[in-house]
Amino acid sequence: MVRKWLLQFEWLLRSSTLRLAALLSAIFALGFVVAIFVALTLGQRALEQRVDATLTVLAQGSGVAQTRVDGAGMIRRPVHDLAGLPEPFRRAVERGGGTLDLDDDLMGSDKWRVMVASDNDGRPTMVAVSVEDSADAQELLASILWTTAGIVIALTLAIGVWMGLLAQRRLARINRTLGQLAAGDLSARTVHSQAKDDLDDMSHNLNQTASELERLVSQTRRLSASIAHDLRTPLARLRAQLEMLPEGDGRAAALEEASRLSDIFDTIMRVARIEAGQGREGFEHVSLDELAQDMAETFGPVVEDEGKTLNLEIASSATVQADRAMLVQALANLIQNALVHGGEQITVFVDGYSLGVADNGAGVEPAQFSKIIEPMVRLDAARGTPGSGLGLALVKAVADRHGAKLNLAMHNPHGLRVTLNFTQM
Amino acid sequence: MRILLLEDDKQLGPWIAGGLREEGHVVDHFVDGKDALVAAVGQEFDLLILDRMVPGLDGLAVLKSLRASNNSTPALFLTALGEVDARVEGFEAGGDDYLTKPFAFAELSARVGALGRRREVGYGPRPAETTLRYADLTLDLLSRKCERKGQPIELMAKEIKLLEYLMRRPGRLVTRTMLLEQVWDMSFDPTTSVVETHISRLRAKIDKPFEKALLRTRRGEGYVFGA
Repeated sequence: MVRKWLLQFEWLLRSSTLRLAALLSAIFALGFVVAIFVALTLGQRALEQRVDATLTVLAQGSGVAQTRVDGAGMIRRPVHDLAGLPEPFRRAVERGGGTLDLDDDLMGSDKWRVMVASDNDGRPTMVAVSVEDSADAQELLASILWTTAGIVIALTLAIGVWMGLLAQRRLARINRTLGQLAAGDLSARTVHSQAKDDLDDMSHNLNQTASELERLVSQTRRLSASIAHDLRTPLARLRAQLEMLPEGDGRAAALEEASRLSDIFDTIMRVARIEAGQGREGFEHVSLDELAQDMAETFGPVVEDEGKTLNLEIASSATVQADRAMLVQALANLIQNALVHGGEQITVFVDGYSLGVADNGAGVEPAQFSKIIEPMVRLDAARGTPGSGLGLALVKAVADRHGAKLNLAMHNPHGLRVTLNFTQM
Repeated sequence: MRILLLEDDKQLGPWIAGGLREEGHVVDHFVDGKDALVAAVGQEFDLLILDRMVPGLDGLAVLKSLRASNNSTPALFLTALGEVDARVEGFEAGGDDYLTKPFAFAELSARVGALGRRREVGYGPRPAETTLRYADLTLDLLSRKCERKGQPIELMAKEIKLLEYLMRRPGRLVTRTMLLEQVWDMSFDPTTSVVETHISRLRAKIDKPFEKALLRTRRGEGYVFGA
């Protein structure tokens, strides 16, 4: 359930603008942290140098061994006489100086800077001053810097995400339009903003491209309609004239040829139409096993009458989004091909998202696979058999239209196996 | 039957009109959409045969205007646009049938017969009827049982659909293309002999074992069931 909830926000991770905003914020934050570290370290060192300079001067004086002026204490002792001072002082002297922390306050301070230097007479002397105030100031400075940094980084991140979301929303709009175009709605356009930036240029170009596409598609449709009209009308006249002839004199044969001519033309137009089609217009849920069963019932008797057998093999079935009529025609073409060129056993099979027809005929050389899909290509062996050479071209067009893969393979042990592989939709 | 024909092609128009007249129909032939519309509004026809693309007002526009004014005369579109979209457009405009050029005259004749008879009252079983009877043959569409002379006949799903289509049109010529379109939903020619094969299977079941054949083939034209 948590996974599901997280998945809702997956688009956030996929958004490049948000990724960029996050990356910039991270770089900014890192820079900030490093700068503060450097500033604090350098400040500390500068302060210590100042204190050490003062200590050197103090060591050269004489007289008072212990003073306390305005809360700032000072201790000066010969190194061999440290009696009465807490233990850390002696250790500091052994180290040759440094900063030390005390468990209990000494002269109102628990932080001291110690130095071993020579006094006027050249005797080694320990000098120490209380540095609690400057340490407090340093801590205060650090906490001010860190708090400021935290606020600035949080603000940067918030502004970055906000701007990222703004850009993301515009990109999402463009993306939605592209999706609509891909689904075949060529009238989809995206909205211009007033930003006059690169995203705006992109929307503008997208809209222009879509308009051009729409114009071209409608032009192609008009063109193919007028080609169809211009070719079908003379074919219709030819048919009318042939029918008006008296019986005999090859009238029947001529009519047959006229029918064949218009069938080939129909198929060419159909392939062109399928190839030119876009989107999922006319698509419905098609259950592949039901479709295969239907085809087996329709073509089974036809195959049997040819003295062959039509088998139905359903391993597992899936439902796809498809134009049923197109799939029916593709399968009809494959069965027809198998009937003409294949062996005694024709198999219509469904395996998950795969649908196809196999035969146990002589098969086709794998080297020729890509060739036989091309329109009008008929291998030499097939020259003598009926057919227009458009069967597989139509199957290919149908496959492409559905985003399915057309796969030709050798069937075991021999024959051709043609599969339409639907991607999971 | 009184038929209005809108077809501007100088060869096809007279050929269709002549052929229909030979079959005993009265044909008013127009080459202009507007004239055809005026005639269809003013007079009573049994059937309209409209070409999709004619000068002036095309067939689609003519039928849309007529349907808008509640004229329900059956209409058959003739067209050189074979595409599915065009077909759908035709049916959406209120067309009852759609025939793509080129076509055999027998095909047109069969469709004219089918559309014309639709208007005749009491002819053939009503569409809502679920038990079809012809002579001694009965087909129950709900229980999917078929019997002739009391003998049960086992039919496949497609054979039931085929027999139903035929029994709803007794005595009428039914062409191969009509069967492909209506029984198999195929608006293409599957080149294989789908119709012939299934007709012969059906015949072997409903006719062969009995004396009188109900399903007859009309060579080169189609099939006639009964009568």
